[in-house]
Amino acid sequence: MSFLVAFHWGWLLASVLLGLAMGWIAVVHRGPGVSKLMSRWLSVLTLALLVCSVTRVIPGRPGYWLDLALLMFAIYLFGCAIGSWLRDWVISRSMRPG
Amino acid sequence: MHGLFKWSSKWWPGVVPLAVLWAMAAWTSTAPLEADLAARSSSVLKGTVLDKTRIDVSGRDVTFAADAFSEDGRSSAVGSVETVPGVRLVNDESRLVPEAKPFVWSAERDVAKVTLGGNSPLPASKAKLVEAARASVGGVEVVDQMHLARGAPPRFDSAALLLLDQIGKLKDGKLTISDTKVSLSGMARDLGGREAIAAALQNLPEDFSIAANEIKAPPYVFQAYKDPVTMSLTLTGYVPDNKVHAAIATAAGRKFFSQKMVDNLKASIGAPWGFVSAVVPALGALSRLSTGTLVVTDREVKISGDALYEAAMAQIRAGLAKDFPQGWQLKAELSVKPAAAPVDPTVCQQLLSELLEKGQIRFEPGRAAIDPDSAGLLDRLVETTLRCPTAKIEIAGHTDADGEDAFNQALSEKRAQAVADYLVKAGLSADRFAAIGYGSSQPVATNDTDEGKAQNRRIDFLVR
Repeated sequence: MSFLVAFHWGWLLASVLLGLAMGWIAVVHRGPGVSKLMSRWLSVLTLALLVCSVTRVIPGRPGYWLDLALLMFAIYLFGCAIGSWLRDWVISRSMRPG
Repeated sequence: MHGLFKWSSKWWPGVVPLAVLWAMAAWTSTAPLEADLAARSSSVLKGTVLDKTRIDVSGRDVTFAADAFSEDGRSSAVGSVETVPGVRLVNDESRLVPEAKPFVWSAERDVAKVTLGGNSPLPASKAKLVEAARASVGGVEVVDQMHLARGAPPRFDSAALLLLDQIGKLKDGKLTISDTKVSLSGMARDLGGREAIAAALQNLPEDFSIAANEIKAPPYVFQAYKDPVTMSLTLTGYVPDNKVHAAIATAAGRKFFSQKMVDNLKASIGAPWGFVSAVVPALGALSRLSTGTLVVTDREVKISGDALYEAAMAQIRAGLAKDFPQGWQLKAELSVKPAAAPVDPTVCQQLLSELLEKGQIRFEPGRAAIDPDSAGLLDRLVETTLRCPTAKIEIAGHTDADGEDAFNQALSEKRAQAVADYLVKAGLSADRFAAIGYGSSQPVATNDTDEGKAQNRRIDFLVR
């Protein structure tokens, strides 16, 4: 893992920035979200891919690409969480009577 | 926390650019990543002894194929590749090199090249053996056809290196190690090479033994050529040592009384048994020929040339058959020189005197038996006498002044008679010769010095 991080730090930085931006926007976004059922399916899919990665059942290049995808996705989600939390914190501060 | 769940349902639009980023990352990083892993996997294997190592990287999975020389070496090599950071899986396709039974190694030399074949234990020993072969044979091409195999006996390298040291001493041949048995065959380059190889083999490592040593020595050649035109005797080839060299040179000097000697003999070991006992009589036979060649090859003596007269040819053949040591072969290709034109008695006297000036007929000390070394001179005298068939000849014997006069008188008579008998045996008519002894009464030099005495002990031919 540390090898992947060290080797792809540029791409991971891009993922985390993308996540931060998406999380920042998501707090005030008015559009439709992912339905509960859909998000459950997506979680199951992600879990399945994670299992595939951990058990190393996919050989060669596809296996490497899966690892890379999961790592970038995890970093993206982390960025989203931080971004949303920051936005929420900024909004709640400005909403306070001052 | 509840907020995070709520917001997360709105995060999906970012997945699309994320997917694009991922595709770009995968597109650009796969090849460099594979190259990086391959380089680092190879570098961790540098210290491990392997053959035919192959590393293929696909994604982060490494396929490792190699021939290892022990199970420990093999598993430790696989282990080191597994510990390379970034490697996800190692597909182990390594194997042990096959075990050779028996473990056979060979080095074969012919005129143009040295071929190393059979089994070799490790890549390092293989390289060392090729290097040693190159050093041993100088500029000759070395062809490496060795296969790596396990199962070499202990100290194989030292044994093989010792044998390679010997390959320079071979003209052609094959050296083989089969487990701990060493076999050698072929022909040594120089005389003494076979003995030098046998001596070097004493240093073979323990446990190794010689199964067969069939190295042959090159023929031991001695040659002598008598040339009547240049009046020279040329000696070439080998003699066992300097002592024998001196003995042969002295014998040749006495037998070839009037010939200039060109001595190109070299001392070398490897002479066949009985060398001197065969060469000296053969030189004696050559001295009786007008022109001739003597070739001694190992235990075969070939003498060819022209005898000076008919009876001499038979005498030479009979003498050689009698004098030769056992186990030697003789090939005599003799013919008789055509008789020279007759001359009148005055010329005859002149020719005889010239011959006796160049050489003296020798006898055994104090006796009347003719020294065999004088046969060459006597044959010349016979040949000359045959050219004046009508002349009567007085054979005069003389001694020095040592001893009693009566003894010297008798000795000189007997010696003169011995010479006359030799001439009669050669086919000349007995009534042409008168053998007369003068004792010490007609000295030609002083009897006070050894040199003078030697001149006084003589046989003169006087044509009447």
